[in-house]
Amino acid sequence: MSSHNNHSTSANDPRQPSAAKPFVATPVSPQDLPVDYSGFIAVVFGIAGVMFRYKLSSWLAIIFCAQSLANIRNVENDLKQISMAMMFAIMGLVTNYLGPARPGTQS
Amino acid sequence: MKNTGFPLKIMKQKVEDNHFKMNRGKSISFFHLFFFLSLLITHLSFSHVLADSHFEGFDAEDDDAVEEQPLDHRFIRSPPLTQSDSQATPDPETQTNPDPNPFPTSDPPPKLDPQKPSTATFEYWDEDEFEGLPVEQQSPEPPKITENATPDNPDPKTTAKPQNAMVSKKSYTVEIICGSFLIVFIINYFTGKRENENLALAWAAKFATKGSIFEKNFSLLGVGEGEDSPLLLKEGQNVFKFYASGRRYCLGLLATMELKSRHDLISRLFNLVVPCKDEITFEVYMNEEAMDQVVFAVAKKKAAKGMQKEVRDLQRFAGLVANPSGRKWVAEELSVISESKEVAGDLITEAVLEQVFSDKAFEKYGKGFISMHFSDQHPGTHKKMLLFKFALPDANHMDDMTRLVALVPYYIDLIGRYKLSSQARSKTEAARVKAAQETYKELQNARQEAMQKKKAERKKMLEEAEAKLSAEAIHKKEAKDHARQMKKAMPRVKMTRAR
Repeated sequence: MSSHNNHSTSANDPRQPSAAKPFVATPVSPQDLPVDYSGFIAVVFGIAGVMFRYKLSSWLAIIFCAQSLANIRNVENDLKQISMAMMFAIMGLVTNYLGPARPGTQS
Repeated sequence: MKNTGFPLKIMKQKVEDNHFKMNRGKSISFFHLFFFLSLLITHLSFSHVLADSHFEGFDAEDDDAVEEQPLDHRFIRSPPLTQSDSQATPDPETQTNPDPNPFPTSDPPPKLDPQKPSTATFEYWDEDEFEGLPVEQQSPEPPKITENATPDNPDPKTTAKPQNAMVSKKSYTVEIICGSFLIVFIINYFTGKRENENLALAWAAKFATKGSIFEKNFSLLGVGEGEDSPLLLKEGQNVFKFYASGRRYCLGLLATMELKSRHDLISRLFNLVVPCKDEITFEVYMNEEAMDQVVFAVAKKKAAKGMQKEVRDLQRFAGLVANPSGRKWVAEELSVISESKEVAGDLITEAVLEQVFSDKAFEKYGKGFISMHFSDQHPGTHKKMLLFKFALPDANHMDDMTRLVALVPYYIDLIGRYKLSSQARSKTEAARVKAAQETYKELQNARQEAMQKKKAERKKMLEEAEAKLSAEAIHKKEAKDHARQMKKAMPRVKMTRAR
């Protein structure tokens, strides 16, 4: 049992290298992950920004996107939602700043 | 022919175009009106008083004041209105003012819009109804104004100027605020990340490096394989894991540090309101044969009550243990949950009391203690587990939790050697058998329910299929009948024809 050789007082040494098991990362199912609230909020704000042409909403969506990105855990899973929110937010900003001023005022 | 026909076509098109434009102009102006109205209704409360003064200010004396007034009443308005205004109203100052709208070319045409269709749309305006209208909305009625007061002619222009200036400023405020927040957020992300990493590394340096407590107790440290495997595994930005293995009585130990979300500015701000702690949880997976039937927990009084109600094995097997008289016991803030008094008495030893849990020691060393929970009936994959939950101190004060961390190997040994007395054992055995039976029953019930559900579903499916089939059969029969009738009818026709 006591295959380690450095210690003469092996009886008092609690270590057992033979019993050592390497670390196995337990896979976490996507359902167990904490809910990505910020991503959801970002999507909501992004859609609102696009729908109502509301700048502040698009900006908030981008901020929440950043939060969601900062808290990312599972890359494949979260990236979908974040990319969607990002798309909406950027689309909102683009239509706000670059697009036609408003449907009513087009010539 | 071709030459004459071609211009005609163009003409026609042009006419149509004009018609189209007219219609569009009308609809656009309607849209304008509608939009303004809705905005006005929502913001009437703001602009009402000031706008009223505008109407009184048609006199020549007030002209100067009029130029300035719109400035403040613009200022009062909330962003959404001015925003839409900036897009809706003519914007001739785009060249001089730094406007966020990069398309000034699209602006001149709309300038004409509100004035052109004014004659058509103005009939629908009831002046009494719209007393609260600000001046610039009234710009489509220049003829009236000129009749009443000649100096008011430049009014629309002058009102437009400060308004646009404010618009550009206002729309910038949103961008400035959000942009700066984003920048701060990004800076905070990196600083907070480093802060968290420093804290985790400080912990690892204190307790998991050479000559430290975990190195003396475990032969394998770190999450990788080989000699210099990384000690810590980072999961997300605020969760760090430390793994150790190779010790008697246990398979391994997994420490999970859940730090504050320092990298996230929003939750950081949120934590200013709702403070939280950096926590570390040790999970010790005990060997199957090394742990007797023990269910035991220590926590702060309030938390203990919650645990007793919520944690399943504690709820099922254990209850709060009253302080035994005539014996040193844990500090007053703590309470003990255990299956039996015997277990509690055996697991809270003199040494532990002296080191951490007695009144005096707890005041000094127990600040970071949150809870510990030993159980052989842990729900989950591994049943025999020891759980320790502590709060982490600052990176500079890691010494504060030395004694708490020392509890971990101490209890591994204590529980590994611990054997219940035969009397207590029979009791716990009975409880476990009962619990096992209950779970078995529950399982069976669940299985039966599932079976029944399946049966019902199958029945439904069958019925549906039958119904379908029967419907089809009826359909077929009908078709057949129809065909038969047709056949019957056909020869007659033929017959009649033949005749």
